[in-house]
Amino acid sequence: MKEALRALVELRARLLWRRFTTRGGIAEGVASVVLLALAIPVGLGFAVAVGFGAYQSVKAGGGLRSDVGAAAIFFGLWQTWTAVSLTLNDREGLDLNRFLVYPIAPGRVYGMGLATGIVGDPMGLVWGAMLLGVFVGAAMARPGAWLGLLAVTLAAFAVATVVFVALVQEVLDLVLSTRRLREWATVLSVVVSVGILALLLKSTDRPFRAIGDVLPSLRVLQWLAWPAAFPAAASRELFAGRNGASLPWIGGLLASTAATGWLSFHIALRQARGAGTSGGSASRGGPTPAGTGLPGGRWGALVEKEARCLWRQPLARVDVLLAPAIATFVAWKVEPRISLEAGEVLRALPLFGVALYTHLLLQAFWLNAFGWERGGARVMFLAPLDLAAVLRAKGLVLYLFSLLLFLASASLMAIVGKGSAPPWALAAALLLHAGTAPWLLAAGNLVSILRPRAASFAIQRSSALSTFSGLMGMGIVSGVMGFFALPALLAIRAESTVQLLAGWGLLGAAGAWVWWKAVPREARLLADRRDDFLPTVCGDDA
Amino acid sequence: MADPLAVETRGLTRLFDGKPAVTSLDLRVPAGAFYGFLGPNGAGKSTTMKMLTGLLRPTSGEARVLGADLSRDGLSVKGRIGVVPDGLALFERLSGSEMLRIQGQLYGLDRLVAARRAAELLEAMDLASEGGKLVQDYSHGMKKKLALACALIHGPELLFLDEPFEGIDAVAVSGIRRMLQDLVTRRSLTIFLTSHVLEVVERLVTHVGIIHRGRLVAQGTLDEVRASGSLEETFIRMVGEERAPGPGLSWLGTRGDEK
Repeated sequence: MKEALRALVELRARLLWRRFTTRGGIAEGVASVVLLALAIPVGLGFAVAVGFGAYQSVKAGGGLRSDVGAAAIFFGLWQTWTAVSLTLNDREGLDLNRFLVYPIAPGRVYGMGLATGIVGDPMGLVWGAMLLGVFVGAAMARPGAWLGLLAVTLAAFAVATVVFVALVQEVLDLVLSTRRLREWATVLSVVVSVGILALLLKSTDRPFRAIGDVLPSLRVLQWLAWPAAFPAAASRELFAGRNGASLPWIGGLLASTAATGWLSFHIALRQARGAGTSGGSASRGGPTPAGTGLPGGRWGALVEKEARCLWRQPLARVDVLLAPAIATFVAWKVEPRISLEAGEVLRALPLFGVALYTHLLLQAFWLNAFGWERGGARVMFLAPLDLAAVLRAKGLVLYLFSLLLFLASASLMAIVGKGSAPPWALAAALLLHAGTAPWLLAAGNLVSILRPRAASFAIQRSSALSTFSGLMGMGIVSGVMGFFALPALLAIRAESTVQLLAGWGLLGAAGAWVWWKAVPREARLLADRRDDFLPTVCGDDA
Repeated sequence: MADPLAVETRGLTRLFDGKPAVTSLDLRVPAGAFYGFLGPNGAGKSTTMKMLTGLLRPTSGEARVLGADLSRDGLSVKGRIGVVPDGLALFERLSGSEMLRIQGQLYGLDRLVAARRAAELLEAMDLASEGGKLVQDYSHGMKKKLALACALIHGPELLFLDEPFEGIDAVAVSGIRRMLQDLVTRRSLTIFLTSHVLEVVERLVTHVGIIHRGRLVAQGTLDEVRASGSLEETFIRMVGEERAPGPGLSWLGTRGDEK
């Protein structure tokens, strides 16, 4: 069994090494080095900050200051760790489904996969440095044997967070891949949303009073974030010098980690054993009718294919849930904090932010536009198609999907924020959303053609983008945001909304022209690169 | 007057990283022929097929398909051929019937015509009850049949099939074989097929080409190529003498304690 595990470790290392030494690997290697170069100073900076926080909390020796410090450290760390892991975690190298054929206990393979979530991920350096910072800060404040218990708490916190992320990913995958569960999840989310809305509207003069009234009893919800709640409670006791009182919390942390790990493993195992049979059907009633729906012809077929494939993407469905949720949170927590005196443009910034965010959410689709085509990519070259039409159909469908997300998000913001953004802001936000799209799509096409990657359909093994593409995406988004920030800055200075609308309109029109002109050239590039492109996208060289 | 050619190549060559995969290939596939393109693994069969169908660019040489120069009139040629490539060309997130209909539309068929043909093809391939299922949930054999249906939906004049019998059971092989024979006899359809299954090929094809290490070593009608022997004997003689059996594997056949 030791040999088998050693082989697994070697396999993982070799796969990683091959990623950097095969075609295009140098760019990947450089991108990884750049990410590491960014991660190390960021991690060290945050480590010093949380270390100082831990130092202050221990020095306080109990009481509110100590309690708040402990809670802030663990809940803050947990929140960012979870969010980043859910977006970036790549456990594809140890996909349970691939390893079921080997005489290795699936639990061990799964455990290895989780371990790579801590040590095999560049972001692991950031989290590791921050936990080390907490330990060093606490040790400097009060050296002693209690640090052993703190070390156990911190290590268990790291494992608990990784296991928690795994559970969320497995559950999301299960829910999104099983038709019946998906339908129930939709019904449940509608019921919960309506319930929350009813609660908010219970008092029409002050919609949030109802929430305020129930907030104390909602404290129990902190245990939903148990990987942070247990260590926060344990640290509260440890910081105050009550070592014995921390033991039940540490025990609770270890037990719940084990239970969560067991649960996520069994869901993953169930999914792996049933792989290929749980995807559900498009329609169980035989062939789909042809006389209705989208227009005919090649263009109609291209658009329809894109729309159907995009909608059947688990990642896109998660975005449908995520975008309105985030927009609601922004309207609830951020918008009220912007004073009326800040000016109309500033008050509209959260709405503008959401307009851009809907593009960001979908970046895997515009930076790796062919990532899920597999063998279907060959159709683009086998059928008598203009590749420019393929790119245009992809761009159009993705833009419309993003627009749908934005409209849903903006509607919720209008309800929750009770119209705190000025009326012209929606038009401006639509202009911003439409204006940035062609720039992002034109640049995204290039990245998609030059750095394609056969992406996983399962969201719990999200590897939609290579490190290089991710880095390029950061550059593209920053550049486009910089472009569009200029008219906004000028408008804030001049307090002129007309200036803002005109600026964004001009930039958007320029973007549309650039996209229109760029697509045929990108199509030619795609045709020229098909020898390298097809094996990668079809997964032949995987 | 010589038979018109469905496929004609002159000096077709493809290099990968400077190493030849296919060298100076001069293929001649008569229109209406059932052409079996044979060769051992790695001989260059799939590379040739990819070059003839536009999936791969030749490094040098010329290829004419259905009388048109592939490098100049690629788009018009594509509309007249059907292809079942190695690895298939299916969108996993479409249902079988959607895949067929959309494929038909991509080849220029009207939506209603494409839908009607899709239903007929599903019936013919024995997939009618599975038409609403996503392609990703199809078995390998079902995917092969669906890919063949996709290649036929627009009524091609020339059909390229890369290993159509690989990975499917004997019943499906028999069904596909019957369908292909029927297609060739019913109308003037040319079929260009690669396969390892020599017994099946021998029963199907009218013409044969054998490629070995990227070079064409034999070409002609089935009778011309196999002469007096069977196709298998001819094939083995041409691609290399039978290998002497290697030394036995030391750990098999004994209950060794080496772990």
